[in-house]
Amino acid sequence: MARKILAVDDSPSIRQMVAFTLKSEGHTVVEAADGAEGVAKARAEKFDLILTDQNMPKMDGFTLIKTLRALPEYHSTPILVLTTESSEAMKTQGRAVGATGWMVKPFNPTKLLEVIGKVFRE
Amino acid sequence: MVSKLDEDGYTPHISPTIYYDRTHDIEAAKILPGEYYVTQRDMVIVTVLGSCVSACIRDRKAGVGGMNHFMLPGDEAAEGVSQSARYGAFAMELLINKLIGLGAERPNLEAKVFGGGLVLRGFTTTTVGERNAEFVMRYLNTEGIRVLASDLLDIYPRKVYYFPKTGRVLLKKLRSVHNNTIVDREREYEHRLRVTRIEGDVELF
Repeated sequence: MARKILAVDDSPSIRQMVAFTLKSEGHTVVEAADGAEGVAKARAEKFDLILTDQNMPKMDGFTLIKTLRALPEYHSTPILVLTTESSEAMKTQGRAVGATGWMVKPFNPTKLLEVIGKVFRE
Repeated sequence: MVSKLDEDGYTPHISPTIYYDRTHDIEAAKILPGEYYVTQRDMVIVTVLGSCVSACIRDRKAGVGGMNHFMLPGDEAAEGVSQSARYGAFAMELLINKLIGLGAERPNLEAKVFGGGLVLRGFTTTTVGERNAEFVMRYLNTEGIRVLASDLLDIYPRKVYYFPKTGRVLLKKLRSVHNNTIVDREREYEHRLRVTRIEGDVELF
């Protein structure tokens, strides 16, 4: 099923690749270049899923997740972290702040789509 | 410290080799294929490139700079977003994240890029160096990172000295490869990329 997805990453190259992958499956994608822009866009309209990087200027992924989790409309929305961080410590922290899942870059497009399917139990 | 390389075989990792460069009277970090280095100190970062490329990136305001050394893996039939583009973006992002972590800001980043020589002849159908050079230029353009200087392609191996504090680069084109060390190291790196599944782990909580 086509979903509305917010893709947050400070790298335009990553945003392009992620958006291309998601759009090829019929999803609608809105991009944001850092956590602060991500929060602003998520407040402006409701997304079915948020895909976010961790290391970003202005506001990082963890802060974005914490901020969104405090809003009633994003209390249980799936939020996936797509990051270069592969340490267990970071993953544990991500889980603690409310991430739904953790994907380490470089991402495999097929796997990304599979994970999104699993999140929605499709 | 367990190097990332030992874990998955493809993740670029921080160079462990620090020495004193007597010629330039300065502390030096030497990086090999698949490594990178970032510093706030007054240092020189040194590498020798064959068909690989290096991006030297710094934020002069924040006083932090670094260099990587990588090549793209050979590609599966390029459908949609290719594996090589994803790997290249990953290698670049590790360097940029580290710079940002040490206080650099994206709009201030400036780059110098080197390498992509036709050094590994006859080892794949397309010229590896050319793909690497094209990638790094396209990537920096997409990222909006200014390229102040570049020396790419041609047939020479290059020795690069990068002084991140000043942004200065000394470039030596090596006329001939005296021994096969450069080629051997690149082949070994290329092999690692070829035999490893280049993708990160996925976990749903």
